Amino acid sequence: MAFYIVYIREAHASDIWQDPDNLKDRVSYTEPKSAEERSEMGQLCAAKLGIKFPAVVDGLDNATERAYTGWPERLYVIGQDGRIAYKSGPGPYGFRSKEVADTLHRVVPPLRNGLDLSGGLLPKPADRAIRNPVQPSQE
Amino acid sequence: MKTGLKLLAAGIALYLAITGAFFVVMSQSPEKIAKTMMRVPWTAFRVFPLRTVWMNARSGSVQRGEIAPDFSLESADHKSHFQLSSLRGQKPVVLVFGSYT
Repeated sequence: MAFYIVYIREAHASDIWQDPDNLKDRVSYTEPKSAEERSEMGQLCAAKLGIKFPAVVDGLDNATERAYTGWPERLYVIGQDGRIAYKSGPGPYGFRSKEVADTLHRVVPPLRNGLDLSGGLLPKPADRAIRNPVQPSQE
Repeated sequence: MKTGLKLLAAGIALYLAITGAFFVVMSQSPEKIAKTMMRVPWTAFRVFPLRTVWMNARSGSVQRGEIAPDFSLESADHKSHFQLSSLRGQKPVVLVFGSYT
C-alpha cells in the first residue's frame, strides 16, 4: 500500500485564524501566498513532524482539498479498485488513525488473510506465532 | 411564572439560532470559516455543541464506495508528481490531508 500526505492550506495560519495552542508550541506561520511558498511549507511540515512518507502539495486553487473536503485535516483509504474504502470525519475530532488501520486490515489481502506477509508490513507468520500464540480467527 | 417561561423559551430559541448560525458558517469554504471563527472566542466550543455541528457541516460530498476524485500533484520537494489514478488496480492508498498549524 502507499501513503501520501496531501499538504493543503493551513488550518490555523497566524494571519487568518490563530490557535492559542499553536502559540504555546511556538508554531506560528502565515498562509503561504504562492505555489513555491506552499511547497516550502509542505516540506517544513513533513520535516518538523518527522513524516517519512511522501508529501504532495495542493495547488493554490485548493482543488484537491475541495474535492475531498480535506481541510483542516482528514484521512482517506482508497481501495485498489480506486473507490473510497474509508473516509474519516473532519479533523481534528474525526482524525482517527485507528480507523485507518482497521480499514487496511480489511482491504489489504495480506493483512486480511494473515498469510502472505511479504513486504515487511507485519512480522513473518512464524515470528508472529511466537510472539502471539493465539492466532486471530479468520473472517 | 408566565414571564419565566417566556424567558426560557426565548433563551432556547436564541441558543438554537446561534447553533444554526454556526452550522451555516462551518458549511462555507475554509477561508470563510477561518475568517469568521477568528472572531469567536474558543469558549464557544464549550457553550454550544460545535463539535457535532462541525462534524456535520464539514461531512463533505464524496462518499465511501464512490470512485475517489482523481488528482495529480507535485511533491513538496519538486522531485516527482503523484497521480492518484496511477495506482488504481495496483494497491490501496492512504491519503492524509493536513497542514502544519
